[in-house]
Amino acid sequence: MAQILNFANVDLYYERVYALKNVSLTVNEGETVALIGANGAGKSSILRAITGLRKIKSGEIHYDGRRIDGASPAELVRQGIAMVPEGRHVFPYMTVKDNLLMGAFTRSDKAGIARSLDMVLTRFPRLKERYSQAAGTMSGGEQQMMVIGRALMAKPRLLLLDEPSLGVAPKLVQDIARSIVAINRDERVSVLLVEQNSRMALRISHRAYALATGSIALSGASADLLKDDRVKSLYLGGDL
Amino acid sequence: MEQVVANGLYLGAQYALVALGLTLIFGLMNVLNFAHGQMYVLGGFITYAVYGQLGLPFVVAVIASGITLAIIGGFMERFLFRTVIRRSHREESTMLLAAATAFFFDAVILLIFGEKQRGVPKIVKGVFNDFGIILPYDRILVGLLAGAIILGFILFMKYTKPGRAMRALAQDRMAAQLMGVEVNRYTMIGFALGAMLAGFVGGLLATITGINSGIGGPISIKAFMMIMIGGAGVVSGAIAGGFILGMMESVGLTVLRQYGDVTYLVIFAALMVFLSIRPNGLMGKPWG
Repeated sequence: MAQILNFANVDLYYERVYALKNVSLTVNEGETVALIGANGAGKSSILRAITGLRKIKSGEIHYDGRRIDGASPAELVRQGIAMVPEGRHVFPYMTVKDNLLMGAFTRSDKAGIARSLDMVLTRFPRLKERYSQAAGTMSGGEQQMMVIGRALMAKPRLLLLDEPSLGVAPKLVQDIARSIVAINRDERVSVLLVEQNSRMALRISHRAYALATGSIALSGASADLLKDDRVKSLYLGGDL
Repeated sequence: MEQVVANGLYLGAQYALVALGLTLIFGLMNVLNFAHGQMYVLGGFITYAVYGQLGLPFVVAVIASGITLAIIGGFMERFLFRTVIRRSHREESTMLLAAATAFFFDAVILLIFGEKQRGVPKIVKGVFNDFGIILPYDRILVGLLAGAIILGFILFMKYTKPGRAMRALAQDRMAAQLMGVEVNRYTMIGFALGAMLAGFVGGLLATITGINSGIGGPISIKAFMMIMIGGAGVVSGAIAGGFILGMMESVGLTVLRQYGDVTYLVIFAALMVFLSIRPNGLMGKPWG
């Protein structure tokens, strides 16, 4: 399988404090890769580095064979990297429709945008019911579905998801997990998933990296990590 | 009564345009543009020069006012505000910068156009006198033009791609960036657009009230009052604030006439009470 993302030896600093120290990871085409780890371990920093929201200090990031560190977020969206940020970040006063259309901001193929919109509304029928409602008035779970749909509107090849289960009712976490699996399978989108809900993340991903204080502590196939004793005690709260 | 409402609507349409420009800049950049009134004055003088001096058609003059201000606004964002925002994270820096630009414009306007009150020939003659309303036709025309520009602005923000991009930027900067909105480009467009609106109103009102170099400051203060009433950074709030202030002024000038020039004293007192009850204005966001 071809690598779609190669994140190599990256250091990233916030002011003088390091957030990532010599972190390397890869995502292959068609894979779902999970990043697990405690708060502040550096998971979100990896996503911010990929999307260009944060400049890296050293190392290289390659996407689809091209070097992308230093490119602007807008440029990366155009190249096919879409991110769902932590805390959802809906446009609260825009309708669901306008939010979704914002996802296709860099595209100009009208027919293609209409197809994507159709696909998103079929995948998340709830959004169809809320179509003309201001996004800020929806529940956390609905907003989460909408921002995943919004990211899909960019027709990405690599989807970055930052804490999609955060602030979502437990019943809906299952739904969201299922849609991530379905999106990865049906839309041929590779997924890099950051989650504090490690168990969910390991269940729906092919491979995973576990981070601790800015470095990768463990990595491997998700099925293996689910059984790993260190992972169990550190990330899964002991009982499984 | 009808007279008061008609005056209020006419004034409100002008005020709403001023407030819209100010609120757009605030919503996009979190910058309080103290120079907004001076932009208005500049727009007025450009119409004075193009229509009053050169004798070109009024519409051409107003468009010239708008376009010149758009260019000035674009340059202000690109070379002043963007530089300061990049280097300083303190809001006071942009406030100081805006205040300094206001003084700078005041001085430039005074140098070029002098301190005299300037008027231009009437654009249409005659007075509408029916239904208990006495309103010169030029006021009606200017009011309708202002209404058309407001409508155009709303449609632009709602249905065009740059409009959507600017709304997205104002509502969630980071998310807009992740959608591929080029922040610098659309911030500059927004600043230019806000300045253009100020230029339009200046040009429109130059035909009614005339223009002089000293009214920039008072206009800025009125504009701030409008967005305080309506809620800063919200389009509907700016429009509401503009019409409310226009209406209050119109009512005040009629009802309080026998007490002398106390209208704005009363309006300020009312605003203080209102803001202590609703500090975010009518439609303001609780977070900004």
